[in-house]
Amino acid sequence: MSTKTSMHIDPYERNWMIVSIVLLLGFATAIAVAAFAFGIQVPSPEQRVDPRTVAESGPWAEPGLRELSPGKYEAYILARTWLFQPREITVPVGSKVTFYVTSADVQHGFKLQNTNLNVQVIPGQVSKLTITFDEPGDYNYICTEYCGNGHAAMFGTVHVTP
Amino acid sequence: MRKKLFLYGLYGLAGLLITAALAFKIFQPVQVVPRIRLSPGFILIDQNGRSLTNEDLRGKFVLYNFTYTRCPDPCAGMNATIQEIQRRLGEANLGDIEMVFVTISFDPDYDTPERLAAYAQSLNADPQQWIFATTQDKALLKTIIGAGFEAYYEPDGEGGFRFDPKFVLVDGWGVIRGEYRYQTQVPDTERILRHIRVLAEEVHNSKGAASLAYEAAHYFLCYTP
Repeated sequence: MSTKTSMHIDPYERNWMIVSIVLLLGFATAIAVAAFAFGIQVPSPEQRVDPRTVAESGPWAEPGLRELSPGKYEAYILARTWLFQPREITVPVGSKVTFYVTSADVQHGFKLQNTNLNVQVIPGQVSKLTITFDEPGDYNYICTEYCGNGHAAMFGTVHVTP
Repeated sequence: MRKKLFLYGLYGLAGLLITAALAFKIFQPVQVVPRIRLSPGFILIDQNGRSLTNEDLRGKFVLYNFTYTRCPDPCAGMNATIQEIQRRLGEANLGDIEMVFVTISFDPDYDTPERLAAYAQSLNADPQQWIFATTQDKALLKTIIGAGFEAYYEPDGEGGFRFDPKFVLVDGWGVIRGEYRYQTQVPDTERILRHIRVLAEEVHNSKGAASLAYEAAHYFLCYTP
């Protein structure tokens, strides 16, 4: 009975519907596998800070690299129009570095080239990213969000020494 | 007809599940603080000259901080924070859970157990609740504080230290549940007290079927800062 009352769907349309549903299921599976099997996490907002005073005291008053123990580092990066503080960081190959990035003024971006590190730098919010440098070389971190006249010149470098 | 009923049932179930998930996310009937990583194992010497290991602190909540007794201003701020948390610990509804504060000195050359004991006394610290410890093995100390608790310190060459003040909250299983690295918009005292309260709630209520809700919260909820 029900087959007669059901509406007619064109075969082409039906195929498109099936494809789009399969696509959605595929995405959901990919997200689940990435999150649970590979442990990939999106960069999380660490904490909220006051962008007007963040550069006055605490770690962003003296932004830069801190060695926690041999091979393990923290890097506090302050983004402001139009430069990153510090501009240069040097670590030995094999180092595990955790970046804490925040902005003292407008919205910026922080992308470490040739790695999968990429995050929005939002004033008032601290972004935390961790990476292990397995290959020596120079990695530039660049501002990926238009932030004014000097945007194109806003970058810094991580030197990974062998 | 039966097929249709079955289909409606299926839609109903799906709707119910989605509503339940949304309600869980929006109203947050259970709240959790993240399981960040394992806290490091250690053997230190406390202010009475006795050994203190991480195993001695199992089953208790521990708030660690890292300092040295000759330190000027920032350390006074940390001590004041600990004292205020101790005063207001009732707000955290700990029940039968014990809360301990451990201050680890990274200046073992100067901070002998006697000096730590004198320092504790000058702060009116209750020896049952607030322990001061360090070890003469500097490489071990660096491994515990630097690699384990991820707190930065370095001698500044003039007898003092460059360091970032930091608190670490560890639960009874030895898992780090909170790290307080820098001043945020909410003062440390408020954040730490809130996290202790949420943690105590989880320990008290996460039993039987409710533990599944807590596990779900660990997976699917964003952590409130």
